[in-house]
Amino acid sequence: MNIWKISIKNLFHKPLYTLLSIISLAISIGLLLGIRQLDTAVKQQFDNSLGNVDLVIGAKGSPLQLVLASVMHIDNPTGNISYQEAKKISKNPLIKTAVPISYGDNYKGYRIVGTTEQFATLYEAALDKGQLVQKPMEVVLGYTVAQQLNLKIGDTFLSSHGFVDNDMDVHSDPLTVVGIYKPTQKVIDRLIVTNLESIWEAHDHENHEGLNEHDDHEEHEDHESHKSHNEHADEDKEITSLLIAFKSPMGLLTIPRQINDKTSMQAALPKYEVERLFQFTGIGVKVISWIAYIILIISCITIFISLFKMVKERAFDLALLRTYGASNFQLIKIVAYEGLLIGLLATVLGVIISQSGLFFVYRMIKEEYKQTILQNLSYIDILQTSLWVFVMIVVAITLSILPIISMNVSKILSNEK
Amino acid sequence: MIHTENLTFKYHQKETVFQFPDIDLNQSENLLILGKSGIGKTTLLHLMAGLLKPNSGTVTIADVSLQSLNSKQLDKFTGKNIGLVFQKNYAVRSLNVMENIQARLFFCKKKVDNSAITNLLQQLNIENCKSKKINELSEGQLQRLGIALSVIHEPKLILADEPTASLDDKNCQAVMSLLLDQAKKNIANLVVITHDQRVKPLFQNILEL
Repeated sequence: MNIWKISIKNLFHKPLYTLLSIISLAISIGLLLGIRQLDTAVKQQFDNSLGNVDLVIGAKGSPLQLVLASVMHIDNPTGNISYQEAKKISKNPLIKTAVPISYGDNYKGYRIVGTTEQFATLYEAALDKGQLVQKPMEVVLGYTVAQQLNLKIGDTFLSSHGFVDNDMDVHSDPLTVVGIYKPTQKVIDRLIVTNLESIWEAHDHENHEGLNEHDDHEEHEDHESHKSHNEHADEDKEITSLLIAFKSPMGLLTIPRQINDKTSMQAALPKYEVERLFQFTGIGVKVISWIAYIILIISCITIFISLFKMVKERAFDLALLRTYGASNFQLIKIVAYEGLLIGLLATVLGVIISQSGLFFVYRMIKEEYKQTILQNLSYIDILQTSLWVFVMIVVAITLSILPIISMNVSKILSNEK
Repeated sequence: MIHTENLTFKYHQKETVFQFPDIDLNQSENLLILGKSGIGKTTLLHLMAGLLKPNSGTVTIADVSLQSLNSKQLDKFTGKNIGLVFQKNYAVRSLNVMENIQARLFFCKKKVDNSAITNLLQQLNIENCKSKKINELSEGQLQRLGIALSVIHEPKLILADEPTASLDDKNCQAVMSLLLDQAKKNIANLVVITHDQRVKPLFQNILEL
């Protein structure tokens, strides 16, 4: 027999109270941990996805949309820009790399991006297997794409039009897998990379084929990046956007203004736009956090009430233990251990709740948005939340042991009748 | 061996000052304290048990004056040397019979001797209740558990507060003989306070308040 055993027996003596305390506390801990982790993970994911892209140039429209479409690859593009003009900008001496990209097709929901070899350097992506794209209709797969679709080098597939997997609008020319990139945890993992010519050819070819193609294009005009061309001349070529990495931060100061003022294109800063986006989503995170904190406070009040009730209802039991030779401090320990045990169990359960909750959220994100988010358990978050819980429980314990300190054993025992 | 001298006690915010006659018991001597309710029987018992501090006077048990001990020493000393029996015998409700006895021994820092426990429970005829919860016991079993809890740690003094008040004649006899028997076995002094006249014939020493 020892103090711990008595505390545990006390908890089991009122299993419903104990369960209620543990569950309500665990839910608030789970919510707090979950929302923090999700927030950090999504932010990290976004920041990471940006790679080394300092600036993106595309057709006029919403800068956020441009960033989401051309850098994050989760939104529809704003329109097309002239390849010729893009090339002119690329010659600016402040620019380290300028990568043109063009897209408008997908395979099973994974976007096909036509670009140059430099695209991979923006994401520091190295080849895992195979080789780089040498000629049109060859593709290199991002790591996630290869894994999820179970594609190997030499496999061929037919791409479909737009950004959603469909059987209606399939291109007739098959694409051949020639390489697979190593995992980077960046956006390139879930892209199918080819050269610009593949994209241009696919759509030129189609334009010659059917009359109904025209209707289709009108329908998609706002959403799609490409337009058909009858000529192959470079001057008429269009791309969706130009991704830029600067040599020095000086470029950030001059180039965006130059483009926004003097051309029909717009320049958007991915880091700035993403930050702006988080300001919107941040409100949601804050609200959920506040709700979690309120639940935390309520559950600590529940714990206080159940401990206090225990002390009051079992005053006789406690007085009895005093006549057995227990000191006041030992009685306080009994109550304190009960509170701490509840807190500990709730924290463990809370971590389990948050992790399994996030597991499902991430799986949903993966299915819906083809985004793989790493489920990193943040120890700092756990530590911080546990500290909160610990402080709350200590307050609850302190309040509930007050009757023990002022306990009059003689009075309790003489009122036994 | 218990000895009280010039004990007086006054409850906070009350006028009445209780003055108690001196008590002097040698080894194995028992005492019955009779008196009407409100006369301070329980107060005297709690003074002897160290649960109340007298306004004046001393209580000496086994040559140790309770007034000379600090509160921590007092807890340990009374826990070790005194066994208390109540009218309605209570045990800790979240623990079962065996655990109550173990807790009793834990808090007064006595070793758990399983054969001694079994032996005592057999004498009290509650050996088969070892793993029963407190609320599963009958009134009589609870009473006997109360006696077990008051003697398991081999105290020098057993103090019983109205142990027979709610019992019929037969059970009254049974409880009293168990208490006297256990006091004798432990070479302890038994002090019983009661207003129950049925107990009178069992004692040589009687103090009327």
